[in-house]
Parts: sequence; C-alpha cells; structure tokens
Amino acid sequence: MAGPAISFSDVNLTLGGVRILRDVSFKIESGELACVIGPNGGGKTSLIRSLLGQMPHSGNVRYEGGGAVQLGYVPQFLESDRTLPLTVTNVMSVMVQRTPAFFGVKKKYLSLINAALDRTGFKGKRNRLFGGLSGGERQRVLFAQALMPEPNFLVLDEPTANMDEAGARRIEEVILELNALGTTVLWINHDLAQVKRVASKVVVVDGGVPYCGPPSEMPPQIAETRAGVVV
Amino acid sequence: MSGILEAFRLYVQNLSYDGVLPETFQYAFVINSLICGLLIGPLLGWMGTMVVVKRMAFFSQAIGNAALTGVAIGIMLGEPYNAPYISMFGFCLLFGIGLKYTQHRTSMSLDTLIGVFLSVSLALGASLVLFVSARVNTHILESILFGSILTVNDTDINVLLAVSVICVVVGMPLFNRTLLASFNPGLAHARGLAVRRLDYTFVILITLLTVACVKIVGAVLVVALLLIPAASARNICSSLSGFVGWSVAFSSASCLLGIVVPMQYDLAIPSGGAIVLAAAVIFVITTIIRSTSGRFREAGV
Repeated sequence: MAGPAISFSDVNLTLGGVRILRDVSFKIESGELACVIGPNGGGKTSLIRSLLGQMPHSGNVRYEGGGAVQLGYVPQFLESDRTLPLTVTNVMSVMVQRTPAFFGVKKKYLSLINAALDRTGFKGKRNRLFGGLSGGERQRVLFAQALMPEPNFLVLDEPTANMDEAGARRIEEVILELNALGTTVLWINHDLAQVKRVASKVVVVDGGVPYCGPPSEMPPQIAETRAGVVV
Repeated sequence: MSGILEAFRLYVQNLSYDGVLPETFQYAFVINSLICGLLIGPLLGWMGTMVVVKRMAFFSQAIGNAALTGVAIGIMLGEPYNAPYISMFGFCLLFGIGLKYTQHRTSMSLDTLIGVFLSVSLALGASLVLFVSARVNTHILESILFGSILTVNDTDINVLLAVSVICVVVGMPLFNRTLLASFNPGLAHARGLAVRRLDYTFVILITLLTVACVKIVGAVLVVALLLIPAASARNICSSLSGFVGWSVAFSSASCLLGIVVPMQYDLAIPSGGAIVLAAAVIFVITTIIRSTSGRFREAGV
C-alpha cells in the first residue's frame, strides 16, 4: 500500500511565548524517505508532533493521496517506571490487543509481536522486564511496535540514537525495506553520513526550513550553520 | 436487589446454624461486611495496579477528603446524614474532573496539583463538617476518614455493587489503552487513542470507586487498599499477569482477614484498621522476599 504525501503549509508554532516554528512549508512525496536534521531546540520534534496533531499550531499539515494512512510512530523513549513488572511481550501486547494484557496475549497477536521483534533483531529476551533493558534494546522494542500493523507512513524520532552499530544498521535495513514497498518515511536523524546514504530528501529544521531537497545538493553553509551537523 | 441480599444473608446464616460456617456468620452485619470485602478487595486490588502505574495514589486520598465536603453539602441540602450519596458523588466528581482539567490547562505536575487539592479538600471538608455538626453527630468526620465496614446497610452495598459493575464494564476494556497512555501519551495518540478522554474516564472511575468505598473503609484506608496490595504484588512479580493477579489476591485476602480475624479471636481492633494491617503484613513479607531473593534482584533499577 503506497504511503501518503505530506504537505506542510505556513506552519507556525509558539509555546510559552517562544516561537518554535516559523512559516514552515515543504512537501514530502508519497513513498519518499525524508530525513529531518537540525540543531537541538530547532523544532524537529515539535514539527513531528504538529504533524501528529499533538501541538496547537497554525497553518496546514495535510495528508495527500486519498488512501488510508497507517501510521507507525517511534518516539524517542517510553516514560514508564523502570521498576514496573512489565515484560517486553506485555508492552507489545498493550499496543495491539484490546483484551487486558494481564489475561495474556492472544495467539494471533503473539505471532504478530514475535514477527515484529524478530524483524528488529530482538530475540530471546521477550520475557525480560522492559525496564531492565538497555536504552538501545528499548529502542528496538519501540521500533518493533511501529511495525504492528505494517505502516505505510513511518514517523521516526531518532530511533537509533542509543543503539549499537549493528542494531542501528538492522533498523536502517527494515526502514529501507518498508520504503522500497512504498512506505513514506519521515525520520529525525543526526547522522549526516546515514542521511546521505538513505534519504532522498533532507529537511533542515531550525525554527524555519532553510533547506529542503536532496542531501547531495545541500549548501555547505546551511549544513554548517543551520543543520546542527559537522560536515 | 435488597431481596437478593436478604436471601443471600439467610442462606449464609443457615449454613452457620448448620455448623458449616463459624458462629460469627449468624449475624447479618458480618455477612454484609463480607459482601463488601469481597467486592472491594478484588476491585481495589485491580484498580490499584493502574493507580500505581499512573502514579495517582494520592488522588484517591484527595477524593476521600473531598467526600467530607460532599457530606456537609448533602446535610445542608437535606440528604440523610448517614448516606448523602448524591452530594458526595456530585461534589467528588466535580472535584476530580476539576483537578484533571487544571492539570491539562496548566501543565503542572500531577503530584503538585494533587498535593494542593488534597490540602484544600481536607481543610474545606473539615470546616464544613464542623459547621453542620450542630445538626448531626460529629463522629461523621471519623467515619468518613476511617469508615465502618460493620455498619454498612443494603443501600451502601447496592451503591458499591453498581460502582463495581461500572468499573469492570468500563475499566476492563480500557486497561491496555490507559496503560499505554500513561507510558507515552504521544505514542498513544499516534496509535489512535483519545488520551484525554482516557484520562478523564480513569479519574471518574477512581472517583466513583473511592466515594463508594468511603463509608465502608474510609478515605484514609481506600488509599491504603489501592496502594499496598499493588506495591506488595510489584515486590514479587516479573510480569503484568502476576502484578494484577497478586494485587487482587493480596487485596481480597487483606479484606477477608481484616474482617474475620478480629471477630473470630475477639480482638478489639476496628475492621478498617485490621484490613490495612493485614495488607501491611503482606507487604512486609513480600519486601523481605524481594530483598533476599536473587530472582527479583533483576527487577530493581
């Protein structure tokens, strides 16, 4: 199922008297893999939260393409108390099934959960406590939940920030697989080398959007002064 | 409903007369308290796990204190002083929803807001109850704070039964979603959940449950029963099923032990206090198990 195109038109966001986003306008085409880069505090996460309808912004954020949008969202972290007795399977089942998770996981959901975890390379630790996992392992679980059900629009907020190299590469492979099937991807990413390797479009967010286009054509002065990356 | 309760009481009393159950069960008030214990125990044990996950333990304390104001308003409006349920439910619902609304509007941390509301509700409630105390027995303050499970009547049981049904029918299907919304509201919203509606629904359920239990175990002890069994279960569990299952078991056992043991052994301990003491003993045991068993060491931070 082809992913939607997304267009931002004159999006403005002010929080607590501070203007976070200024006249943000750009478009991501259907099936495109776009990476969002920018300095800390530049408004990347706010941009995504505006897209998800979680920020009181002005302007328009529109899905285009007409088909149903199956969103997969990977936040930076879960805020759960790390001492809670919740296994990885518990956390995953809370995401997909309606029957209270303490009654156990239904068979059809268990296979879905196992498939999603396998895909991210998370094996053999499904009965471990979620709170006892390392930061990278928890990010793999968070990524896995976005694969249930299979998305046609993937929104990623630094999904590999705490991962080891092998884990990050595995997640990248899954993202590229999904993108090859037509999934539109919007990915906050600080790794410029990875951005250049995977993205068809880079969106620099620093309050406004000083650049939106192919990574190879990004002007060096923008990369150095507005993108928060070291060239 | 009273007919069914009466029939049940007669059945249990007959079992006692026949020697199947201890002599204590020949008294209707004992059976009433056991019915309440059997309703409250599992319900508070289950809801307690959610309260612990959402870190809202003292919210029900604030609601319990608000019940004092509800009682005072009820007396002023002419409701019976021993069961002013309309005013209690009405005021406490407004209070709970007002607290949540304030949190959403101000983005203030929940524990700070609960602290503010808790103090205000106690001051307001105590002042109003003393103001109307000329009309009624002043011990009403004590009974709201500490309850009296041995003096419950059919109205109290019916109210508790109705609230139990509402909590199970509404709360059970929302369990997973409420859990997810408390982990990461942004993710919950992205997965299509109405996070604020879930928040308000949970607040309403906890408010209803607290008010229904206030007359029976008291405002102070509702908090204890929401918190201690869930904390005990958390000590010895490494999965959600265990967490909820043991919390329900500990809460139910505490209620039954707290009601039956003092009567059986002629101990001069009030039932409400005995219930919480039973829960506390379980908590101490599970804490010792957790701190000494290598199996649970991984569950720590």
